[in-house]
Amino acid sequence: MRFLIILSLLLSIHWSVQAQKFKGEKGEIVFISQAPLSEFEGKSNELNGLVDLENNLLDFFIDLNTLKTGIGLRDRHMRENYLETKKFPFAEFTGKLKTVPKLTNGTPVNVVASGQFKIHGVEKNIEVPGQLTLEGNELLLKASFKVLLSDYKISIPKVMFYELAEEQIVNLSIRLKK
Amino acid sequence: MKKLILLWIALGINFQLSAQLERKLSTEGQEVDLIFHAPRNINLLTVEPVDKGTLHFAIMHTFGTLDGGLRNLFGIDNGASIQFSFEYGFNDKFSLGAARQGLDKIYNLYGRYHFFKQTYDDKVPFSLSAMGGAGVNTSDYSFLIEGDPSFVNRTSYAFQLMAARRFSDKISVQVSPMMAYFTDMNPIFFLEGDQNLYLALGMSGKYKVSGKASLTLQWIPNLNSDLRNNVGLGIDLEAGGHVFQMYFVTSPALNEQYLLAGGNGVPGEQFRLGFNVNRVFATKRSRMDW
Repeated sequence: MRFLIILSLLLSIHWSVQAQKFKGEKGEIVFISQAPLSEFEGKSNELNGLVDLENNLLDFFIDLNTLKTGIGLRDRHMRENYLETKKFPFAEFTGKLKTVPKLTNGTPVNVVASGQFKIHGVEKNIEVPGQLTLEGNELLLKASFKVLLSDYKISIPKVMFYELAEEQIVNLSIRLKK
Repeated sequence: MKKLILLWIALGINFQLSAQLERKLSTEGQEVDLIFHAPRNINLLTVEPVDKGTLHFAIMHTFGTLDGGLRNLFGIDNGASIQFSFEYGFNDKFSLGAARQGLDKIYNLYGRYHFFKQTYDDKVPFSLSAMGGAGVNTSDYSFLIEGDPSFVNRTSYAFQLMAARRFSDKISVQVSPMMAYFTDMNPIFFLEGDQNLYLALGMSGKYKVSGKASLTLQWIPNLNSDLRNNVGLGIDLEAGGHVFQMYFVTSPALNEQYLLAGGNGVPGEQFRLGFNVNRVFATKRSRMDW
């Protein structure tokens, strides 16, 4: 009996070591706001990600407080009035790859992920095209998608010293380790 | 065997759970934003910093008393007492400012230093800043029999500690022990007090109505003089990078020394209309995207 328990424990440990799990913590994410009169971008290097090729699971999240646009006051307004980061600190994506690719070392492969994107307390199904590159024990992921602010109940400031585009372009790039 | 099945199930669940990443804040100790809308709240300086490399400009006005009624357009016809103030942020903790008040033509130099800031996890429960300033009266007093006061006798100094806390999404309060010192209290100055040293406890409040509008409050009880206390109440509106502050206040004074020594009217009939316009300019970018 005890032997069985130990065996099952060992098995489970073995199982997670075997798994094609890649994790990363310091991914870069950039959002670009292109309004007719003002274009600016916000950046953060705090993207957390998990890509599990065996169970086909993708999971990403970022603390929105880490986004910086280069103007302190604009950041404060963004946190306080638009993203409301005190209530909704994270942007999250959980989903899977439409088809799990065979990766060979050093060759970028285009993939499409579909899943739930959640920001400002609103969840939506989205599809994100991206690129995976296996580099030894590391997996490089790049992706780009668009976010319509009205989909997530994020109000657009009308009279402000910056103009905010309704459609935000989000680019991300993250290095994940086994 | 039952135990074993349970264990396997537990392991399975465990595995399912660890499938998703644990959501952790990268910003432990995130600083509380916008305790006040601007570096000024009615007449008093606040704990709100001027960002590194930016210039904060405020133009402040107070008018005559309301008791002139409609004929004097509630004091507006009496002309305005105006203060221009510029403040530049050298880093996120330290800024230097210069201001000129029309009343007695006072030029003031001041600095602000922010010791620490309130955080959302309440490890730091309030923000603490200090302000120190010195001013000189540049009015022409050559008509006086005893002649012009010397430069030194025209100087005055102010010191203020600002402790502020945002208690909730809507309510912010600041308590500011204040001190003002006049080298020489010349009766010709626009001051009601006749002592050199003034101590007071300034209080500022903000009640957020929406993301862009707040009701504001100011009360400055004097601690060592029998002058009437300063009372102000108003509204802050954010619009397009400007913060407009409109208020009723009991004193025409705009700089710290005069707020403490200048005397005040009776709240109500002797309220004065006042308004400030605050604007921030980014100076470190060649591209102005404002």
